[in-house]
Amino acid sequence: MMKKLISLALAGALMLALAACGGDEPGNINDVSPAPSAPASQQPSGAPTSGGAQELTFVLSNEPDGIDPGVTNNSFAKYVLNNCFEGLVTYDESGSVVPGNAESWDISDDGTVYTFHLRDGLKWSDGSPLTAQDYVYAYQRVLTPATAAQYMSMFTDYIVNAKEFYEGSATADELGIKALDDTTLEIALMKPTAYFVDLASMWCFDPVQKATIDANGDRWTASADSYICNGPFKMTAINMGEGYVLEKNEHYWNADSVTLEKLTLRIITDNATALTAYESGEVDGITAIPAADYSRLKASDPGFNSFPSYSTTYYNINCGKPPYDDPLVRKALALAIDRQAIIDSVLQGRGVPAYSYLSPGYVVDGKDITDGRSDNELTAGANVEAARAALAEAGYPNGEGFPTLQLSYYSSDTVKMIAEAMAEMLQNNLGIKVDISSNDWAVFYDSVQAGNYEVAAMGWSADYQHPMSFLPLFKTGDSSNNSFYSNSEYDALVEQVMVESDPAKAAELIMQAEAIAAGDYCCLPLYYGTNTFLMKDYVSGYYMTSSSNLYFQNVKVNK
Amino acid sequence: MTTQEKWAPLEQSSQDREKIWSKNRTFAGDVWYRFRHKPTAIAGFIIIVLLLLFAFAGPLFSPYSYSDQDLSIVNVPPLMKVYRLPDGSHAFISPALTLVGADSGGSLTGTLPTVRDEADKRMTIFDANGTEVALYYGGAKYVVADEATGNIYPSSYLWNRDHVLGTDALGRDILTRLMYGTRVSLLVAFVAVLVNLAIGIVYGGISGYLGGTVDAVMMRVVEIISTIPLTLYVILIMQIFGQQLKSIIIALGCVYWVSMAQVVRGQVLSLKQQEFVLAARTIGSSTGTILSRHLIPNAMGPILVTATMLIPSAIFMEAFLGYMGIGLKPPLASLGTMCNDANANLRTSPHELLIPAAVICLIMFAFNFVGDGLRDALDPKLKK
Repeated sequence: MMKKLISLALAGALMLALAACGGDEPGNINDVSPAPSAPASQQPSGAPTSGGAQELTFVLSNEPDGIDPGVTNNSFAKYVLNNCFEGLVTYDESGSVVPGNAESWDISDDGTVYTFHLRDGLKWSDGSPLTAQDYVYAYQRVLTPATAAQYMSMFTDYIVNAKEFYEGSATADELGIKALDDTTLEIALMKPTAYFVDLASMWCFDPVQKATIDANGDRWTASADSYICNGPFKMTAINMGEGYVLEKNEHYWNADSVTLEKLTLRIITDNATALTAYESGEVDGITAIPAADYSRLKASDPGFNSFPSYSTTYYNINCGKPPYDDPLVRKALALAIDRQAIIDSVLQGRGVPAYSYLSPGYVVDGKDITDGRSDNELTAGANVEAARAALAEAGYPNGEGFPTLQLSYYSSDTVKMIAEAMAEMLQNNLGIKVDISSNDWAVFYDSVQAGNYEVAAMGWSADYQHPMSFLPLFKTGDSSNNSFYSNSEYDALVEQVMVESDPAKAAELIMQAEAIAAGDYCCLPLYYGTNTFLMKDYVSGYYMTSSSNLYFQNVKVNK
Repeated sequence: MTTQEKWAPLEQSSQDREKIWSKNRTFAGDVWYRFRHKPTAIAGFIIIVLLLLFAFAGPLFSPYSYSDQDLSIVNVPPLMKVYRLPDGSHAFISPALTLVGADSGGSLTGTLPTVRDEADKRMTIFDANGTEVALYYGGAKYVVADEATGNIYPSSYLWNRDHVLGTDALGRDILTRLMYGTRVSLLVAFVAVLVNLAIGIVYGGISGYLGGTVDAVMMRVVEIISTIPLTLYVILIMQIFGQQLKSIIIALGCVYWVSMAQVVRGQVLSLKQQEFVLAARTIGSSTGTILSRHLIPNAMGPILVTATMLIPSAIFMEAFLGYMGIGLKPPLASLGTMCNDANANLRTSPHELLIPAAVICLIMFAFNFVGDGLRDALDPKLKK
């Protein structure tokens, strides 16, 4: 109350002051004082990055479950992995695949054998030489059961004898991954795969050093000394729960083009705290913008960045658990959600309502392949009548007899708000009871992978620019299929997509497969995202691909 | 009356000499007399009564429930700066840079539909009952203006009538959530008192009266319990019972009696040396009787003071846990979780944090004042 009185008094004083100057509230928009921009000179002089130092502090919103490129598939790890490691190929600013460690590559006429020619003189961050044998070691390691690689299917689905090697029925000699000499790597595929080079850009295809893993085992990612990498930056400090300090890697093959000397990746899980740090100039960029400030920052902050994203935010429905194994129940859940209200009020307009798990963004012959697809009877708003009808058809008229729905989400302000809004929509629109619970990402993800959930917040950001990044999510037995959806017709179509070399035909198959899974309501789609982050306007040269990989190797700090 | 009569000696009697001339009051009456003559104590007492009414009777009068959401009116403050639109209605600029309609009485009519975005002019055009109005966001502050001329509509302040304390990020009524939040806090206070009285007194009494090895063992147990932080108990207990109020109450129940036990033990240790205990023992009273009839009533002063002083710390503990995000499961509201939810919107909607924080302050003040007043009132040395 006192505060209000004071602010009223201040407002009054301000009015008087304005009146005394002969002005009132501005009468025209041209009289409104311009928004304060934030030039570099406004930074506090105590900021450590003054004096033109090529140093940058970037805030991550969550701690990854691991930073071993061979193991994790966690998108929170990408900021470390994309900047510490470089695989055979990488992405440039336009988002197309360009040579990385491999200078060039040949593809056999039948499209099944890829021969990568590595650059001469590649080195690890400790100065030791990096050869094709290191790649072979890294890939064999991914295919070792003890590694528990989360991206294992990227190998077993494509490479000759990879599955057999994993299961122990094939030897290393029989495996389709061979080093012909120090700079030549040959990968033999089971079937022609048109997008294999896209696949090879993923961090699970990054090399890892045998020496450090032999010496430190699983702990090699736990300390900066043993974290040997080969990318534009090397690790100089790992502070559990706080962040990572990266410095320029002088042994990187293209080190001359890297200007940034020091990159600090700091973890601040509270988005509002991160924004405070950004606005006070303590950090130079943040990944997650608090939903409440999104509109304001979009309208006024020169550091606001928006990049197209090949991603979908959805809720996993555990298709292996009754009553959620019934497509009608899943349909009822999907119909009961008012996506537009969530986008407008919670996300402040950031996103497009999604009716399927497959995001638009893949273009064949100048046409997005998702154009004109079915909306699966879903609408931007909630369709309460149809939702109730579907639930009644499934045997739960007005939600009677339906067990309490367990809605789980992971700790994040925005995710929490969406979960609360969804819980209310499901309760009101379907007449069922909803119980919501949250956990830290690592714990949450463990239980999702183990199938200990009913409906859980999830999302998928494509790992490479091809719908095949999404399709395995609902393929029977795939390691990334944690909604346990299973449909043999869908599986068969996905298998066909994998070997189809004609993009137009592949697109057709993709859309057929997508129609089956999305028509079965394999998940509860919410919205297609855009990537937004804040980076001070004195930082230039960073770029983000639509698979949400942010690259710092060309970054310059201009202040 | 002559001067001489005035100086005449008064009639003397033994009875008069023994007479106590000040008003004769019982102990309770005495305490009450001193308590009600302390303004802060009585103010605290009145606030607690009002809070009880607010928390338990308030929801009966509220048209909303704590979980009712209205996503078309999120983050609306209690006092809105509104622009008077050409059709006579008012519009409030929400933190999401949309326009929320309001009538002249301050009732909200929902978000106005967006027509188009004019990014070049830094304007968003909204449809206000048929007329197009522009939200201009190119300046230091955002204004509502006519699109073509750029003339800003007259602005004024309106109190939010439907949601007196505004709405939160999901369009829930803050006043209603506050009532439920206060209810949780008072429930926690009640549990803290109950646990104090039930476990703390008995435990401390037995430990102090029996003494020796029993005392040593019992007090070591108390020390072990009190060295483990409460947060840890709550997290562990939540693993078993899940994220709900029961977990916090059980955690409080496990821990919150230890300081009471220590106080009671200290009191009993000194009281049990006195003659009336010896007398009671001589006539053959049992340990139970001596404790409950002689020792505890004599230690009532310190017990009451400790209890009232522990209440605010228990309430604060609950609010703290809620703020850390390990409190109640959403959508249930406690003052701490309300603050936690509001944290993300602090810059754009500070009222969402300030209001529950102010209520926490109010509750803390009230209980501390009452505790203070009771301590003074119960202390015979401060008798006036």
